[in-house]
Amino acid sequence: MIEFRDVRASYDGRIPILKGVDFAIGQGEFVAFAGTNGAGKSTAMRLINGLLKPDSGQVLIDGVPTTQLKTSELAHRVGFLFQNPDRQICCGTVREELLFGFKALGELDAQAEQRVDAIIERFGFDPDADPFLLNRGARQLLALASIVVLETPVVVLDEPTTGLDFRECVKVMEVISQLHRAGTTVVMVCHDMEVVADFAERVIVMSEGRVVDQGSTFEVLRNPRTLEEAHLVPPQIVDISLALPLMDARLAESPVAAADTLNEMQVAVETMAGRAPVGGFVLEEAAERLQGAPGPQELQPPAVPVPSDSKEVLR
Amino acid sequence: MIQLRDFCFRYRECSQPAVMDVNLDIPAGSFTGITGPAGSGKSMLTYALNGIVPYCYPGDFYGEVLIDGHDTCDTSLTDISRLVGSVCQDIDSQFVASVVEDEMLYGLENFGVAHELIPARVDEALEAMGIADLRDRLIASLSGGQKQKVAIASILALRPKVLVLDEPTAELDPASSRQVFLLLADYARRHGTTVVVVEQKIALLSEFADLLVIMQDGRVRFADAPAAVLARSEELLSIGVNCPRSTTLMNRLAAAGLYAGPVCTDVAQASRALLEVVA
Repeated sequence: MIEFRDVRASYDGRIPILKGVDFAIGQGEFVAFAGTNGAGKSTAMRLINGLLKPDSGQVLIDGVPTTQLKTSELAHRVGFLFQNPDRQICCGTVREELLFGFKALGELDAQAEQRVDAIIERFGFDPDADPFLLNRGARQLLALASIVVLETPVVVLDEPTTGLDFRECVKVMEVISQLHRAGTTVVMVCHDMEVVADFAERVIVMSEGRVVDQGSTFEVLRNPRTLEEAHLVPPQIVDISLALPLMDARLAESPVAAADTLNEMQVAVETMAGRAPVGGFVLEEAAERLQGAPGPQELQPPAVPVPSDSKEVLR
Repeated sequence: MIQLRDFCFRYRECSQPAVMDVNLDIPAGSFTGITGPAGSGKSMLTYALNGIVPYCYPGDFYGEVLIDGHDTCDTSLTDISRLVGSVCQDIDSQFVASVVEDEMLYGLENFGVAHELIPARVDEALEAMGIADLRDRLIASLSGGQKQKVAIASILALRPKVLVLDEPTAELDPASSRQVFLLLADYARRHGTTVVVVEQKIALLSEFADLLVIMQDGRVRFADAPAAVLARSEELLSIGVNCPRSTTLMNRLAAAGLYAGPVCTDVAQASRALLEVVA
């Protein structure tokens, strides 16, 4: 459980970054933070893992203010992935890097080594490779693996997919998605609203140091006022779904105006194109077909390996 | 403006070429977008254009690269840099000054631009990127987006004929990314600058580029107008390039026989096309 109560924070006590932020994130949730550069998202993340302490207000982890928690206690609760893996990676080999977290916590034992070996196998790493000679995507995966191996109940990810190509992005998000399914609380800052739409259950939107909206992912991403206020570019399908009723008011109650994802939109359009009688739509029928529509996996098998229960991951 | 003929480059320590068999013709004043999976040779292409190859990285260079008619192997790096301005992937490694205005002056003074011309050049470049108010700011105090604009403005001030940018919006949010592209495209149109951008954000490239180049394993897989390239969305996905979802949607509807119009490369086109499909 993470809770922010009227949190104010600044750098050097001069430039205010957070101007009274309130939110709560429950155990096992997958929450994305959205907003422009400079909105205060990364600062909020640093407050969660105690890298930064609030000027006023409280940041509570499991009910305890971060100001009362030792760094090691926080490190047990919150794993943190920096935006740039090069700020995180510090060891000479992949194996040492994965062991580093345990060393830092003074918990380097046989069990830790076992966990590291298991994760090396799971990720397919070369344990003796020099991390700095790996490409950007592999370095990001290594940085992520060194968080995953610590098995903290909360992981905070600052822009985990920035600078990655599509396949690397799918790999990283697959790992994060598995973590979430295993019960880990995932808090992620992400600019790519397609990724947010595919994975997050809830979105907290920040603008100029304040929370301007929060709610279930599509509720937030479909709110025109939020999009405008926080300068968010919605996922393309949501954008189309919002645009169509503005272009033709008769579409306001149609299934295309309610479609959130690529597959929902495809089914909605197919339904309407096939069944539209002159002068209007048979809405109930369309809605029925939409509800009974085949799942994404049945519609089209993805060309890249994705977790079996993912929706339409990154497509 | 730019011609690559059978271009191939192999780093000295590598057994395989980083890029090979590259043939590209980039007309003056055009906007070219290059994308592809990591390690496909995108950045290498920018090195070939700005002279880093063959002048800074040792290796075997085959074929020819012509910029405005000059073979880069027969032209000094100084002369290439007068033709080609480049903005690197890691902009912090590009800055030499601590204040924005000094950063702008550095290139101009080094290029020997006459003193009386310099203030107007600085004004124009800052205006072009919409950052006139940042002139006296410390670069260290700027946000990622602001820094990116300063890096681009300091190159624009040199008025290069060719502008090469490697992932100029990697650190930026979507609204700022699009703004950078808008400002760039507007500047290029007014000055006839040829722009080459390496970028992962394919939706941005397809909106702005005249020519979209897809690299795969060091080779050019596709080089055509964005709509022609994006028509192959499934093929692109199989090589690890994800099309904008508006394109994928309309391509799927086309495959289902519901849409027969041109390929949609953005949300506006897809929305207009969909209106007809469901009407």
